Amino acid sequence: MSATKSKPLERNQRGERVANGRILRLVKSGPELQALESGQVDAVLDAATGTAYLLPDAQRALSAAGGQIANSLLAALPREDYQSLLAELEPVPLTSGEVLYEPGERIRHVYFPNDGQVSVLMVVADGKALEVGLVGREGLVGIPLALGAEASPVRAQVQGSGSALRMKAASFREALARSLPLQRELYRYAYAKLVQARQTAACNRFHPVEARLARCLLTTRDRVRSDQFHLTHEFLALTLGIRRVGVTNAATALQQRKLISYHRGNIQILDRKGLKGASCGCYEILRNLAS
Amino acid sequence: MRRRKPKSSRSPPAVTTVVIMRLYIADAAPNSLKAVANLEAICKDYLGDSFKLEVIDVLEFPLRALADGILVTPSLAKLSPAPVAKIIGNLSDRSNVLSALGIKQ
Repeated sequence: MSATKSKPLERNQRGERVANGRILRLVKSGPELQALESGQVDAVLDAATGTAYLLPDAQRALSAAGGQIANSLLAALPREDYQSLLAELEPVPLTSGEVLYEPGERIRHVYFPNDGQVSVLMVVADGKALEVGLVGREGLVGIPLALGAEASPVRAQVQGSGSALRMKAASFREALARSLPLQRELYRYAYAKLVQARQTAACNRFHPVEARLARCLLTTRDRVRSDQFHLTHEFLALTLGIRRVGVTNAATALQQRKLISYHRGNIQILDRKGLKGASCGCYEILRNLAS
Repeated sequence: MRRRKPKSSRSPPAVTTVVIMRLYIADAAPNSLKAVANLEAICKDYLGDSFKLEVIDVLEFPLRALADGILVTPSLAKLSPAPVAKIIGNLSDRSNVLSALGIKQ
């Protein structure tokens, strides 16, 4: 990459992209604008200067690949605390469908996802399961260990492939004992997950399926940072705690309102604002908690 | 600029004409990586050895991309056989890509 030819877009004091006007001037219409709006563009070329301008997400990702830390919990640690963990962190792939823990199973590793998503499922006596949380790059899989429990009360199953840094349980406990910043980050994260679980429980009880599906799709969109993604009927049924036919009905309703397109698990958000309007207020609350 | 050699496919290719394409990316940015992976999967599944793909990093060669009429990355240009076509985005909409490439599903 040539340092003189690639420039990140600048932001103003409110954090907005000051080059938005530039982009809109360069990309006026057509498939380029459509791709830009759906988050599928990494860079915009400016013929006047002969320069490729990176969009902020692409800039962040390239910086991360250049040695910065993808997982937010690890990234928040002071440099020396992070470096003291490095020797114990092992990069591993996360493969969709892979089960990291079963309920009651002893936790052998904790996982700091770099990307991808891990679904946290509560399994009840008759084998039915309900998703009670989702962990991505902002978090940690294996939080019970940080709170003194040895076994997982839930099933942790990879829902979106990616990669993670994992650490053996014994090493994690030692690291936690010696690093106050790690403790602080993990307790803050555990508290946020607790509030999220409470919010989700109330949402599942009181809000209609269509609004909850909209909330779920928007949350997934924020995590994968794309308006297009894949979620199976089965997974959505687990997430929403309903039967598959309920997912079909709710997805059809959102489709008829031209908010999404949904075909065999391939989801595209067509109207993000409209979908926000269709979701319950829990989306914004959960979003704020996640950030 | 990188050139990728066609990979052999286990299943027989659905077309016999060689498809010549140029993919414009921005280094290893997320959508660019997705576009490469999506296109490789499509080539493997549908084209077998019957394609030529040139990958151009616009961060290294912005003028080359501009000369080719590229405004954003990732973008895929199908140069041959006619008609030429351009597909914008990370190529995750497989049916759209196949249609632009003139491949029957």
